[in-house]
Amino acid sequence: MTVYETDVPGVGKKFEVELDGDQRLVVLVHHDGKREVFHKDGPDADAQRLFSLSGDRARKVGAILQGAYFQPVETDSVDVPLGDAIIEWLDVNPDSPVAGRTLSGAKLRQQTGVSVIAIQRGAETIPNPSPDDTIAAGDILVTLGTRDEQAAVEALVAPEDG
Amino acid sequence: MAELLLELGVAVAGLAAAGLLARRVGLSVIPAYILAGVLLGPNAPTEWLGLSTALVGDREFVDVLAELGVVFLLFFLGLEFSVDQLLRDRRKITAVGVVDFALNFGLGLAIGVAFGWTLVETLFLAGVVYISSSAVVTKSLIETGWIANDESDPILGTLVFEDLLIAVYLALLAAVTGGGGLRSAAVSVGTAFAFLGALAGVAWYGAGLFERAFDTDSDEQFVLRVVGVTTVVAGAALALGVSEAVAAFFLGTGLSQTSHVERIEHVVAPARDLFAAVFFFAIGLATDVTLVAGVLGLLAVAVGLTTLGKLVGGVLSGRVYGLDRRRSLRVGLALVPRGEFSLVLVALAVEVGTGRLGGVLPAFTVGYVLVMSVVGSVLVGEADRVTDLFARPGE
Repeated sequence: MTVYETDVPGVGKKFEVELDGDQRLVVLVHHDGKREVFHKDGPDADAQRLFSLSGDRARKVGAILQGAYFQPVETDSVDVPLGDAIIEWLDVNPDSPVAGRTLSGAKLRQQTGVSVIAIQRGAETIPNPSPDDTIAAGDILVTLGTRDEQAAVEALVAPEDG
Repeated sequence: MAELLLELGVAVAGLAAAGLLARRVGLSVIPAYILAGVLLGPNAPTEWLGLSTALVGDREFVDVLAELGVVFLLFFLGLEFSVDQLLRDRRKITAVGVVDFALNFGLGLAIGVAFGWTLVETLFLAGVVYISSSAVVTKSLIETGWIANDESDPILGTLVFEDLLIAVYLALLAAVTGGGGLRSAAVSVGTAFAFLGALAGVAWYGAGLFERAFDTDSDEQFVLRVVGVTTVVAGAALALGVSEAVAAFFLGTGLSQTSHVERIEHVVAPARDLFAAVFFFAIGLATDVTLVAGVLGLLAVAVGLTTLGKLVGGVLSGRVYGLDRRRSLRVGLALVPRGEFSLVLVALAVEVGTGRLGGVLPAFTVGYVLVMSVVGSVLVGEADRVTDLFARPGE
C-alpha cells in the first residue's frame, strides 16, 4: 500500500492512501489539528468529503481503526499484583443477597477467602471496614484475594448478572 | 487617550462586523475589511443615512498595526513556504510558475504601457494583477474539497512559485523606488540583496539556533519571542532601506526548518490575523473611492484580461501536470482571486507616492481586488457549469 504525503502551505499536510481498485482515501491534517477525510472513487473522480474531526476525536477514531481501543484489556495489567492475590472492585446491586447485611453477617471471608479492604459509597470511601459495617445497595466492595477467590465472591455478591 | 481607544475600538468592531457579513454572504473577508476601512475612514462616503461615518481618522496606531500586518503576512508566507516541495517538484513548479508569470505579469505590463503609465508605475501594476491571493485560494480549495483532487497540485505549485517571486519582486521594487538615479538604485538593490542574502544564510544554517532560541514551555514567552524577533528584524531591514516584508519572509523560511512551525501556527496566527485585518482596514482608510470612478475603464480591461490570463495559464498548467481539460480549467478558476499581496505591493507604492503610485494605483487596486474576489468566488462556485461549457466538445 502506498501513502502519498504532500505539504499544503498554510493548511497542513495531505495524505493519500491507495485502497482496493482505484479508490483512494485522502486525509487532510490541518495545522490546528482538524482532520478532514475524503474518498475518491477513481483517479478521475472528484473527491467527496466524508467527515471532519477535531484533533481529539481524530485520535480516538484512529485508535478504534487501529483496533487498539476495542481490544479487551488484559486483566493482569489492570489489577494490582500482590503475589497471588489481586484487588477487584465489585458492584453491590439492590438485589444482591449481601445488600443490607453487615460484613460479619455476610461471611464473605469465611465463604470465599477474600478480604474486603474498603467500601466505596458514592464519593466516600470506608477504608479497612469493621465487621459491624453494613453493606448497602450501590456500594462498591474493594476485595483482595486470589483469582479463584475473586470468582467465588463475585458469584456470591452479584449472582447471575455478572 | 479616550478618543484614541474609542477609535481603535470602532475600527476593530467594524472589522468584526464586516467579517461577519462577508461570512454570511460566503465571500472572502479581505474585501469586507477594505470596505469597512472605506466606510469608516475620512474619505468619501463620510455620511450614511445622514450620520457621519468618518469615525476613524488616519491615525498613527493604524499605520503601526497595519505595518505589523504586512510583516506577519509575509512572515507566515515564509513559514509555510515549502522549500522541500519546491525542490522535489522543481521542474513542474517552474513550468507552471513561468507560464503563470509570463501570461499575467505580461498582461499587466501590456495594460500599463497601453494606458501610458511610466515604467515604475507599470511594474507595480503588473505585480498587482499578477499575483493570486494565497489566503483566498487555499481557503476556497478547502471549502470546495478540490484540495483532495489532483488539480490542487498545480494550484499549490503556482502559489509556491508566486510567493517566492513576489518576495524577490518586493525587494527589487523597494530598492528601485528608494529614490535617486539609476546608480543609487543599483546600490540599494545591492544592499538589499546583500542583507537578504545574509538573512537567508542565517535562516538556512541557523535552524539549530532558532530551535533553541524559541524553546520554551510558556505560550506567552513563545509569542513574545516570535513577535519580538520578527519585528526587530523587520525594523532593522526598513532602517537599512530594505523591504521589511521580505526580511520577515526570510525569517519565516528560517523558522520553517524548525519544530516550532505548528506552535507558531497555533499561538502566533491570531496576532497575524488581527494585524492583517487592520492592514486591510488601513488600505480602505487610505482609499478614495471617488478615484475608482476615474479608473473604471482600466479596471474593466484589467479584470477581463487577467481573468482570462489566469484561465489560459491554468489550462496550460493542468496540461503540465497531465490533468484532463475539466481539472485544468479548474486550476485557472481557482487562481483568479487576488488579495493580500497585491495590497502589500500597493502599500509600498503609497510610501513612494509619486505620480499614479500615490492615488490612482491604490484606488485601482482596491477596486480590482474587490472585483476579482467576487469574480473568483462566483467562478469557483459555478465551476461545474463553466467547465461543462468548455469540456464537452473535447471529451
